[in-house]
Amino acid sequence: MIEVKKVNKSFTLFNQNNAKITVFKNLNFEVNPGEIVALKGPSGIGKSSILKMIYGSYIIDKGAIIINNKNIATLSAQEILKLRKTSIGYVSQFLKVIPRISALDVIMEPLLNSGDTKNNAYKKSIKLLKDLNIEKNLWHLSPLTFSGGEQQRINIARGFIKDLPYLLLDEPTASLDSRNRDIIINLIKAKSNRGVSIIGIFHDEYSRKKLNVREIDLNIETKH
Amino acid sequence: MIIPLLKVTNLSKSYDNIVGCKNISMSLYPGEVLGIVGESGSGKTTLINCLSGNLEPDRGKIIFNTNNKETDFLNISESEKRKFIRTDLAFVHQNPRDGLRLNVSAGGNIGEKLMSVGYRHYGNIRSLATKWMNKVEIDKSRIDDLPITFSGGMLQRLQIAKNLITSPNVIFMDEPTGGLDVSVQARVLDLIRSLVNELNLTVIIVSHDLAVIRLLADKMIVMKNGTVIESGLSDQVLEDPQQEYTQLLVSSVLHV
Repeated sequence: MIEVKKVNKSFTLFNQNNAKITVFKNLNFEVNPGEIVALKGPSGIGKSSILKMIYGSYIIDKGAIIINNKNIATLSAQEILKLRKTSIGYVSQFLKVIPRISALDVIMEPLLNSGDTKNNAYKKSIKLLKDLNIEKNLWHLSPLTFSGGEQQRINIARGFIKDLPYLLLDEPTASLDSRNRDIIINLIKAKSNRGVSIIGIFHDEYSRKKLNVREIDLNIETKH
Repeated sequence: MIIPLLKVTNLSKSYDNIVGCKNISMSLYPGEVLGIVGESGSGKTTLINCLSGNLEPDRGKIIFNTNNKETDFLNISESEKRKFIRTDLAFVHQNPRDGLRLNVSAGGNIGEKLMSVGYRHYGNIRSLATKWMNKVEIDKSRIDDLPITFSGGMLQRLQIAKNLITSPNVIFMDEPTGGLDVSVQARVLDLIRSLVNELNLTVIIVSHDLAVIRLLADKMIVMKNGTVIESGLSDQVLEDPQQEYTQLLVSSVLHV
């Protein structure tokens, strides 16, 4: 379960006349195991910020974010690294990888980093590439040369390859055609059926309906 | 509770009355990659030179915990220190010419390093050297060639091989991709990253290139005027910088 408790978040822009932007005041919600929560609201309201706060990329001013009984806000850097490795999958909006590394290696990496054998990681990754409908002749190429939709699926594969109890998804179904969107939706559903707590940003009504999400409307949550 | 591989407390070093670095404290855990960023003259190089034994700091404590043994780096004898540096530490210079002997063959450069930690059997040394040439993607047919015949990227990869072959516990890298063409940079970065993952290396890397830090480092520290002004997870420091100078640094990066 993920608990977001009384969270305040602001940004101070020192190089722009110390402008202070308040994003959240007293934000509260929780995500139960097996539940899919969709963050809703216009762009700029802080949907991605919530995912980044939970992942530990953004520092919160006040409040607590509890995962595995641990408060992200008070963990040290190495404790957050460990929590990410063992518990939290994060699919960012854009794929960030070093040029030259093949799609297959990009997907295998999280498994290898957790001590999985090469053989095991290879088998799992190949299966996921097939499930995601990525053509075989692309597997050994750098995903940086792929189309937007293909890159996105590699990014999802990297986030989904391990069995982690928490998943943060930043627009996983954007820029996909309807067939591939359905594939991703089914993968997300399968994760949810296994008890994974999922928070996502889904730009389309179709995905939200199919996934049977609980919506959190940030227009209401952040009225202060 | 995991013990940090390296624990630094209140480390200071001045050059006459010029501050090199001041009151630096930090910890590094096994398998972590720490990035150090900051403008020229901010004390990055002074810091890693103190940590790697190239410079004697004025004050502070440096404790290494390697192979279940604690080493109080600034309070051991000169011979113990030299031995520790040889067996436990490695230093990859920005200019590979500083870390290699150019009048000794490629294989000789690697072999020398092995011999310095006790390898004696010529066959073993040569086969290990060949294996590492292969690991850093240098054709093994070049093993008897002098490094002066190598390109800049190859030299850097050779220097990396030479440094990693003895499985050091902490590897220092000072701008390892700094002097390279962009196309070669990516290859060296990729190599460093795959070796870090494969061998679970602990690395301290100095770079002024935030993209390099983002791709390689788990944690980072930002230095200014000899002190650490901000530290944390790399993605956190780069995406939600808390200090004015760090914000300036991050916002000054050009995006292609």
